[in-house]
Amino acid sequence: MTDAPVLEVRGLVKQFPGARALDGVDFDVRSGEVHCLLGPNGAGKSTLIKCVSGAVEPTEGEILLGGEPLPQGDPAASLERGVATIYQELDLVDDLTVAQSVFLGHEPKRGPFLDLDRMNRETAELLARLAHGGISPRSRIWSLRPAAQQVVSIARALSHDLRLLIMDEPSAILDEGEIDTLFEVVRRLTADGVAVVYITHRLDEIRRIGDRVTVLADGRTSGTGLPADTPTDRLVELMVGRIVERLYPERPATEGDVMLEAKDLKRLPEVRGVSLEVRAGEIVGLGGLVGSGRTELLRLIYGLEQPEEGEVWVGGERLTPGRPSRAIAAGLGLAPEDRKSQGLLLDWSQTKNVSLADLGRFERGILNVRAERAAAREHLRALQTKPDDPERIVRELSGGNQQKVVLARWLLRRCRVLLLDEPTRGVDVATKAELYRVITDLAREGLAVLVVSSELEELVGICNRILVMREGEIVFEVDGAATSERELLRHAVAPTDSADFIEEVE
Amino acid sequence: MSLKRLFMLFAAAAVLSLGVAACGGDDDDSADSAQTTTDTSAESPAKGGDVTIVASVPPTDHGWLGAISKDAKAAAEKHDDVDFRLLEAADADSQAQQIEQVISEKPDALVVLPQDGAALTPVAQKAERAGIPVINVDRLFTAPDAATATILGDNYQIGVLAAEYISDQLKCKGNVVEIQGLAGISVTEERTKGFKDQLKKSCPDGGIDIVASQPGDFNPDTGLKVMENILQAQDKIDAVYTHDDDMAQGVVQAIRNAGRDDEMFLTGVGGSQDAMDQIREGGLYRATFLYNPNMAASAVNMARLIALGQGFSELVPPEVPRQLVVPAATVTKQNVDKYEQYAFN
Amino acid sequence: MTTAPEAAAVADEAPGTERRLAGVRLQDYALLIVVILLFITGAILKPDSFPTADNIRNMLTQASVVGVLAIGMTFVIATAGIDLSVGSMVAAAGMAGGVLVDPDGGTLIFILGALGFATLMGTVNATAIAYGRVVPFIATLAMFSIGRGVALLLNDKLPVSLLDLNGGSFGDPRPFSLLWFGTGKIVGIPISVYVFLGITVLGWVLLNRTAYGRHVVAVGGNRQAARIAGVPVRRTIFSVYVLSGLLAGVAAVLLCARLASASPVSGNLYELDAIGAVVIGGTSLMGGRATIVGTFLGVLTFALIFSLMTQLDLSTEVQQVTKGGIVLGAVLLQRPEARL
Repeated sequence: MTDAPVLEVRGLVKQFPGARALDGVDFDVRSGEVHCLLGPNGAGKSTLIKCVSGAVEPTEGEILLGGEPLPQGDPAASLERGVATIYQELDLVDDLTVAQSVFLGHEPKRGPFLDLDRMNRETAELLARLAHGGISPRSRIWSLRPAAQQVVSIARALSHDLRLLIMDEPSAILDEGEIDTLFEVVRRLTADGVAVVYITHRLDEIRRIGDRVTVLADGRTSGTGLPADTPTDRLVELMVGRIVERLYPERPATEGDVMLEAKDLKRLPEVRGVSLEVRAGEIVGLGGLVGSGRTELLRLIYGLEQPEEGEVWVGGERLTPGRPSRAIAAGLGLAPEDRKSQGLLLDWSQTKNVSLADLGRFERGILNVRAERAAAREHLRALQTKPDDPERIVRELSGGNQQKVVLARWLLRRCRVLLLDEPTRGVDVATKAELYRVITDLAREGLAVLVVSSELEELVGICNRILVMREGEIVFEVDGAATSERELLRHAVAPTDSADFIEEVE
Repeated sequence: MSLKRLFMLFAAAAVLSLGVAACGGDDDDSADSAQTTTDTSAESPAKGGDVTIVASVPPTDHGWLGAISKDAKAAAEKHDDVDFRLLEAADADSQAQQIEQVISEKPDALVVLPQDGAALTPVAQKAERAGIPVINVDRLFTAPDAATATILGDNYQIGVLAAEYISDQLKCKGNVVEIQGLAGISVTEERTKGFKDQLKKSCPDGGIDIVASQPGDFNPDTGLKVMENILQAQDKIDAVYTHDDDMAQGVVQAIRNAGRDDEMFLTGVGGSQDAMDQIREGGLYRATFLYNPNMAASAVNMARLIALGQGFSELVPPEVPRQLVVPAATVTKQNVDKYEQYAFN
Repeated sequence: MTTAPEAAAVADEAPGTERRLAGVRLQDYALLIVVILLFITGAILKPDSFPTADNIRNMLTQASVVGVLAIGMTFVIATAGIDLSVGSMVAAAGMAGGVLVDPDGGTLIFILGALGFATLMGTVNATAIAYGRVVPFIATLAMFSIGRGVALLLNDKLPVSLLDLNGGSFGDPRPFSLLWFGTGKIVGIPISVYVFLGITVLGWVLLNRTAYGRHVVAVGGNRQAARIAGVPVRRTIFSVYVLSGLLAGVAAVLLCARLASASPVSGNLYELDAIGAVVIGGTSLMGGRATIVGTFLGVLTFALIFSLMTQLDLSTEVQQVTKGGIVLGAVLLQRPEARL
């Protein structure tokens, strides 16, 4: 690791019409280091990386790459000089092959024709360099798991002469095992002298992979170049500008009748016979690696998939399998894994998104839109959704507030059982704390809550009871207050390879 | 007659319902394949005929074209030694493909009424080169070596007759509206040109204004809409020259709906039964100009003679002429009885 | 002079419930501006015959047939679907009604026959798409062909005269006779215009003021999310094609009433006019955004263009170029980034 800064950002300002996204940002990244970038949503992280990658032209300030000014607002120039960005939503084309994706836009040619052999050969070399020689250059992108797709994105970045790699929340779509491989790849890059800017919401990752950390808040760097072992409390304080008393609220204590009961649900190969129950006022966590069948189980319970065997009972009533509308009528509500593609109509107002599941309530021949708006506003306000404008379209909301819109929908529907799939994915720490408070409050009011999460830490933080799934079965059940992330992880991974994992976490 | 149509209606409804049932039942074997195509080829009983004649025509969804196909089939049936097949094509492209296909089957003669003469000229030339005599009907090919013989109505003459009739009726004084056929094909252009040229000759001092000239696409509902707008724009119309009897029905309706049927009269082209009935009744529909679809029958007869190597015995030497122009005729209330035998539905 | 203020009043109401991104409202008004500009152009070029009450009546009457189709098409396109068969359904429905009443039968039988047959065809589309999982484009393309074929088959390719249903002399048809629906008037406004405006208003209410309408747009906007929110996705998709069929039947009645006959070649390419009006009005072909007011203005735009160009007696070539240019201009004006 050398100390020469690869990237220097000085006094960067970006003024959008009506909003100052960046208001004086300073930071530098050294060759061979992983520099974490932390900050709540809206702090200006994405504007900052867009300035560096050339997608956005800054209003003031300078960006130096290897000591030389980087041409501003010119993505091609940034790419040429070795700056590559991997966005959160992978920008790969599903139907292309791996090799085609890696060389998209700068395909090697022989005469006027594509040099396919060279493309495949060099792709294989790049993947081998990333310790993923197992991915075939000829496979199609859609056939790869998200983690492998990410490796392809990194290989694409490497196919240029890479000096600085910007990764925007790369771990958000990965489970523990996959994150581990990602870190391995990142370490290989830094060993070659590549500088990495790593954006994340997960504080534990800073310690696992980062060398230094810079915190953004309200478009300014509130802390720059801090050592990676800066205490969490301090980082959170820098981020939100105040001390967050506690991330996790008091667990709900009351326990009522059994509200949701699944009996021996089966749909091979994902779910192999699962029984569980959730009581009113109880938060039950469902942990496990991606692919362990958690999401599929929720979909079975909710009726989005038809189970091969088994029954679902809600409040003493058996549900018709495979009919979400019946599940909703019985009092179930689902906040799906991917809010944007499954949960919301992004171009609709908050009001219309909230009322969608219970329009009948406002309809006497025709819809009473005034009553609809009032009811939606009431529930959005109760969850402190921002902005406090029910007519604002949902696309413009932050991830956390979008999640609140989904929750408000089920509150308006007066649902009795909430199924939450990754409720805090892509949400910053401050908003996470708020969502945890909302969820526990709902349980306290008597809702039964079943939460699926890849972040075992949050399950430990809020759940009364935690179930761990592995390979389509529940393999472990424990009181939430009496367990640890480590214990859960041990049960989540297959017995044979668990040892490596646990060391990694520690 | 009406029983048969009622039956058709219920049959269609039943087949459609069957489609619903087939889909609804998640049934894999498709029960609805029966409804997809209608057989357009004439089943000829004479399987072992001496000469094979194939006719290719545009879709016969129009009165005049429908009559063309009927007349051709009827003519073929009169000859025991003719094996006849009639093909309909939806557009110029598919007609070209169809003829391409037919060439490989080597019929003894090919009768073609092209959707678009220019577009189908190359494939007709190909047939000729392959030794298949082509008889061109109505719409002309653009090269002389594309057809062995041509039979056509006289579209220019129709325009001339219409101009003579209208200028005579109006005594060379008044406003005329022209509702044309399909824009951009030779039939329309000729009918328009003949009309304009003759108006100048019949009324050398002027006096007749063509106040509007718009295409009605040979389609009654387009004719209706276009005429409705023209009626809005023109206060005084004395005569309407339409290019087609079918389309004229829409134009007639527009005039009647506006309550202006006493103000003007109208002429058609073709010679449909409907038009002749109205001409006999008198009133708005004053004349039509015969453009006889039975030229298709003549075409089939010519094709047979050519295929058999025979000719018209009245000609010296007896052979089939290269081009036959079927004369146009003016049908009015006075002579409608004489021409009614040629009317088509 | 009546159309423009009316439209403005309706347009005013829509954003109240659907207030969207700043700037989108300009999109809503862009088409209104086009309509007004076209009207003004007509008034200048043809001052005697264009801006007259009679011509406005005429344009609205002409617009009513495609207009009714376009309202149904708005619902279909809102679900991210398409219905290519409406023109063929108009012809087939008219012929079905015509065959039923020929030689004797009443207006009511004609109307029921046309509506019934069109609804049946719409149901076939609906079943194939919602339950047979055929792509809308293909299912309705098949019906495009079947409908036209059936129309030709029903009376051996011949039109059916409906003059016997006129119930009186031309220009003054007896109320509730078939021709009355085509040319009859109440306080100076043709019946077909009442039908068109009535269906437009009903369509607006259905789309914007009922749970059903909300479901239609939700299904087009995000099928997954709609399903998770409990929207009956298949039933909703099914219903829009039935509705489109039913409205094709209404259009057939209006057209036949004006033509005083049912013709198997009528309705040719009406689907393109209907789709064009819907899209130019601002409904997204990708689904999820639909506006009845926009569709109404789109229909008016086409009607104005057609009327103006025929009145000016422009040649076909010039008409085609002008029409294309105006459509393109109207769409460009509606881009979110367009500013006046």
